[in-house]
Amino acid sequence: MIRANGVFLRYPDGTEALRNINVHIKPGEIVYITGPSGSGKTSLLKLLLGMEFPTQGTLEVMGNRMVKGNAGKINQLRRKIGPVFQEFKLIDGRTAFENVMMGMRFLGISPRRMKEEARNALIKVGLEDKMTSKVENLSWGQQQRVAIARAIARKPALILADEPTGNLDQENALNILKILHTVKDADTTVLITTHATHLIEGIEGATFLHVDNGYIHVERRGQ
Amino acid sequence: MKAFLYNIGYFFKEAWRIVRTNFLSNLFSVLGTGLILFLFGMVATGTMIGNELIDKLQKEAEISVYFSETISETEVSQLVDAMKTINGVWDARLVNEAEARSLMEEMLGEEANILELFEENPFAAFIEVRIHLDTMDTVLKEVRKLDGVEYVRDNRSVLMQLQGIINGLKILGSLIILAVGITTLIILSHMIRQGIYNNREQINTLRLLGAPESFIGFPFVMVGLLLTLLGGALAIAMITVLIRNGYRGIGIALAFVPLPTQQEVVMNISILVLAVSLLLGLLGSLFGLSSIGKGGK
Repeated sequence: MIRANGVFLRYPDGTEALRNINVHIKPGEIVYITGPSGSGKTSLLKLLLGMEFPTQGTLEVMGNRMVKGNAGKINQLRRKIGPVFQEFKLIDGRTAFENVMMGMRFLGISPRRMKEEARNALIKVGLEDKMTSKVENLSWGQQQRVAIARAIARKPALILADEPTGNLDQENALNILKILHTVKDADTTVLITTHATHLIEGIEGATFLHVDNGYIHVERRGQ
Repeated sequence: MKAFLYNIGYFFKEAWRIVRTNFLSNLFSVLGTGLILFLFGMVATGTMIGNELIDKLQKEAEISVYFSETISETEVSQLVDAMKTINGVWDARLVNEAEARSLMEEMLGEEANILELFEENPFAAFIEVRIHLDTMDTVLKEVRKLDGVEYVRDNRSVLMQLQGIINGLKILGSLIILAVGITTLIILSHMIRQGIYNNREQINTLRLLGAPESFIGFPFVMVGLLLTLLGGALAIAMITVLIRNGYRGIGIALAFVPLPTQQEVVMNISILVLAVSLLLGLLGSLFGLSSIGKGGK
């Protein structure tokens, strides 16, 4: 699913966000990317989504070499990914339902199935009573869940969730993780960045990428 | 293609949302485009009518031959017959004083009462000679040779003047078409760019979700088409009103030649303005869309 060999990411201002990353993630894995703020977690997800490109080394996502200037292929790859952004990137002025639908409109899914998938995803994240609410009127946690619903409704091969538990209370955060685990059960690879290590302390059957100062330490638990 | 067909309703809703977001600006751009297209439509109308006039005048070329008052009726008849035998003449007939006056009354229409100021009929009889335009020079030469012919009036100068006006209109029309095209493209691409700017976050999100550029851009193309088509419709409405009210005036000024029917003119101009609107809408949207930055970050 993901193969990184000696990947470095250096921003134009000279900041080295990632250093010599060597990781191989198989399909269906659940991966937690941990580390303090500014350690490089989000940079890693940006690489995987084609928002940034390695300045050194090779990175392959679902067999696609992540190199600059391949916009068409990157675009196609993105259609197989369900991203959950730290700042949600929901579209204001639209309902929760419309936002989830928006993520599927260009995937060639029939309108009927799109509606079904959107409804199911919103039910899955516990927002069945908020489907017709405008996203800007929802709480932070609810918006977070809409973003997750948008990602899982697409039935992606890979989910990239950037701090999906950030700013949530313990109960909501655990609920979110539970939802993302259920997606993993459906053979989707899930990558979750979090700095809230206390939430994932007891988790088994997952891969942990500890990022610190751009370096990654891989730990596999119960596999 | 499948995704496109599945989302037709969405595209319409999106286009309407984009228009609504910046409603006043869009309204003004419709008015602006409408006025520009109106200008274009009026020039096109003038050119179209002028071309038709020239065409008809050329087909119906005739000369008026005035003869000496001293010749007898028999000699006049002989003159008419002689003219008929000239190569290039396809008809010749005598128009007497009374008919000459009534022809002028017809031309002057409501202004004809000016003729009542004359105590006697001021018009002389003449011979109306219908000719083939391309043989005008030889016919004139032959006619002037005939005994009793005093003066020949041809409408060549009128034709030349009209042709000059039409050529001027054509040049003016070309310049106006150029100006209309550039101005509409600027207005429209600016509106599209503004729409893109207002929706930049949504566009960026769609890109990150893997939406193709065509999917993102299509509602903006629809907005461009909608704005120019509405502008075009406004222009057509104004042109129609103007043609209906002005046609009689044009008819009086150019009473000596038949004008194309109002319906014909309105129909042709409407089709032309709509086609130009569509083309400019499409081009303007595509110019505007070219300003969307590439890649999602």
